[in-house]
Amino acid sequence: MAKKRKRYWLSLFMVLSLFGALLAGCGGSKTESGEGNNKPQNTNQQTDNNKQGEVENTGDTGTPKDGGTFTFSSPSDIVSINPIFINDTPSADTELLIFAKVYDLDRAGNLVVEPWSLAESLPEISEDGKTYTVKLKEAATWNDGKPVSADDLIFTINTISNPEVGAPGISQYDKVDKIEKVDEKTVKIHMKEVYAPFGYALNFSLVPAHVLKDVPPTELKKSKYGVDPAQTVTNGPWKWTEWKQKQYLTFEADPSYWGEVKPHIGKVIYKIYADQNTEVQALLKGDVDTVTSIPLTQLDAVKKQKGITISNKPGASYEFIGFNFDKNNFKDKFIPFESQKARQAIAHALNRQGMVDNVLKGTAILMNAPFLPGSWADPGDKAVNYAYDIEAAKKLLAEDGWVAGKDGILEKDGHRFSFELQYNTGNSRREQVTAIAQQSLKEVGIELIPKAIDFSAWAEQNLTPGKFEAILLGWSLTNPDPDQESIFSSNYFPEAGQNMGWYKNEKLDQLWVDGYSTVDQNKRKEVYAEAAQELSTDLPYVFLYQYGTPQGLGPRVKYAEEDAPEPTRAHGYFFHIIKWWVE
Amino acid sequence: MTEYLVRRLLQSVLVLFLITLVAFGLIHAAPGGPTQIMLSPGLSPEALKVQAHNLGLDQPLHIQYIRWLGDMLKGDLGYTFKNNLPVGDILWPTVGNTLVLMAVAWLLSLIIAIPWGIYNSTSAYGISDQVASFVSYVGFAMPAFWFGILLQELFALKLNLLPLSDMWTMGEEGNIGNLILHLLMPVTVLSLGFLASYVKYSRSSMLEVLDQDYIRTARAKGVPERKVVFRHALRNALIPIITVLGLDLPILVGGATLTERVFNWPGMGRLFIEMALAREYSVLMAITIVTAVMVIIGNLVADILYAIVDPRVQLGRKGGRAA
Repeated sequence: MAKKRKRYWLSLFMVLSLFGALLAGCGGSKTESGEGNNKPQNTNQQTDNNKQGEVENTGDTGTPKDGGTFTFSSPSDIVSINPIFINDTPSADTELLIFAKVYDLDRAGNLVVEPWSLAESLPEISEDGKTYTVKLKEAATWNDGKPVSADDLIFTINTISNPEVGAPGISQYDKVDKIEKVDEKTVKIHMKEVYAPFGYALNFSLVPAHVLKDVPPTELKKSKYGVDPAQTVTNGPWKWTEWKQKQYLTFEADPSYWGEVKPHIGKVIYKIYADQNTEVQALLKGDVDTVTSIPLTQLDAVKKQKGITISNKPGASYEFIGFNFDKNNFKDKFIPFESQKARQAIAHALNRQGMVDNVLKGTAILMNAPFLPGSWADPGDKAVNYAYDIEAAKKLLAEDGWVAGKDGILEKDGHRFSFELQYNTGNSRREQVTAIAQQSLKEVGIELIPKAIDFSAWAEQNLTPGKFEAILLGWSLTNPDPDQESIFSSNYFPEAGQNMGWYKNEKLDQLWVDGYSTVDQNKRKEVYAEAAQELSTDLPYVFLYQYGTPQGLGPRVKYAEEDAPEPTRAHGYFFHIIKWWVE
Repeated sequence: MTEYLVRRLLQSVLVLFLITLVAFGLIHAAPGGPTQIMLSPGLSPEALKVQAHNLGLDQPLHIQYIRWLGDMLKGDLGYTFKNNLPVGDILWPTVGNTLVLMAVAWLLSLIIAIPWGIYNSTSAYGISDQVASFVSYVGFAMPAFWFGILLQELFALKLNLLPLSDMWTMGEEGNIGNLILHLLMPVTVLSLGFLASYVKYSRSSMLEVLDQDYIRTARAKGVPERKVVFRHALRNALIPIITVLGLDLPILVGGATLTERVFNWPGMGRLFIEMALAREYSVLMAITIVTAVMVIIGNLVADILYAIVDPRVQLGRKGGRAA
């Protein structure tokens, strides 16, 4: 099992893509999409967008009120709110309302103990870095009155780790050797080896062992726990009261909630809208209090409306053009971008700032390495920035031996510089970015052939087996740890890992291992800076931008500034929702 | 008649069976599958195989089909892959919701369109006829969802008179007044679409009949114009209209996906798209069956109606014997 680690959550990304596909169904309403075609601009400044993106009006600083209803809209329904199986955004959103986590994350992505965390103190890590001692709060209870105990923690991790269960989080715990119960509220987790990112695996919810322990592992998925509100014993601030499939879910403040900090909001409605346009109109009308992904084409219209706060800081996702390094995927087994210079030329030729300005309407920030700007592992200047520079691109291509052919497309040894770029159907952002890339590359004599494929088919036939020439894809960094071994290391070729482009770089392979084999953050920072430099020089991907979806908040929603939504955290649109209130 | 019905029903069962066979094959042939959708970074290929096995997806296709058919015959539509919910629990409410919306829109458009078309045929190219032409052009040309968005902008946002979307206000489920408020906009959108074609059909169908020799004969005999139109012309003119109506009947459950989406109507059209993207085979099959049954019923109803309006049509008899 240990080898099969795939930590990066294709799932969230997938939800976003499906979302895009749905959008396509009725895209005609506001057709600004055409304007994505670039007007090339030579813009090198990449940090300009950092400033914009702050939440525009800070929340009211009035006194919190108890009670009231908060309505949250979502483009799709939940699957199950059983923490063991959660693998999609809506289920994970609602999980946050009804389940406390063992540890929480702060704004910067550090593991912390909040008043609403189940743990009493940060995990004690032994000197050799291989044992984590976790102590749960004495007061923590399930809403059926039973205490949240060491047994629940052990049961949850063991269940997720059992391949028969089919839990999506299985790889998070594959470095766990065994878990030892110290007392009713304390466990010691013994690791097989030092593995620094493990701390983040403790940012998780528990399931009640006393409810589920007698269900056979293969039957767990069929259990009503997580799909029937009446049978779902929880331990969070709100309890689940109703699920009207494909329409809404309701949650009410749980009177039996154990935490010292109680939620202000009396009732949370999670309302499902099939159409994004309708969803935004519902926000404008006041039917819903927040929309977490306002389509970029409607952003201006929403901004005009008084009383609506927009948070459009980029989220924890980045998009990239990924290359394939397996000859078998190419005509005549010839990889046009096999040399580093050719890939660097592509990076120079792409008008990334144009994509950010025109397609993402400034809601994104350029990225040069797969570490989120502003996080502790942000490599800053260590990562090479490829400015939009046609001349530099042409020069690199000439050095690499490419000469213009009859049709203007570059040729070398009888091969044209032409490749297919795949993306998923219905994702209008990717469609537009592809169009820009196609045009930019044409200017330097590279032919890009766009190909859109339905997501499910794409995942099965191209992504998972690593069969494509190049892809336009995004990763969601839901886990704030910078380790990305399973994406870039040659130990994780398909189908064991997510190095779908069959990229091999021995120096990097080692750096990833160095990076997680120490729990000293300063040492890790150095390792990742070096990795960033190597990645941005060698370019298995051309990193494009960090992006997110603008969130709109209606006038009734109030929070203190310190509790404002945090787009860079997964589900950060709910950040500290326990302290929000509605007028 | 009874004999005819029995024969038709038997044929229908066969047709239905063939439809399920083809649909099952097509749905499973679509690349990607439910386990692919579950594709999550955490699941190793081995774990995926375990899951596929648990779901019975590793069985040969014909075995899967036979299993599905067996369950179906017992009235068991199966369970969703993702969260093991009974398909019926998800499907039937949406069928009902779609039916409410579509039936209201359809009946309303019939009540308006057929008399209007008839009237227009008696005074072709008059003002009423011109208005009908205009309405038809608009109805044909304007995409339903676009019209829906316009209505929403005006009545829900600017004037704040009507609810923006959904079937009920939360907590008002079952309140008919509330339902009617929610129906107004989507029904307007859908009716316009139906109206556009029905008004044209009934008018042209009537005009054609009114030109026939036997109508001239009737008039020459001195039959009053009212009687000419309603007794002699209408019955014949209705035949092509019935064909169209019969063909449209399945739409009543298939729904208008886009209209349902725009108005967030919890109907079957929406469900179908969502389930197709998630590769929820059992739900897709159930929807296919419901739609197929409606097509069959639609055709059957149309055939029966022919016999009622047109005495020349005698169901189930060989032409010669009836004469």
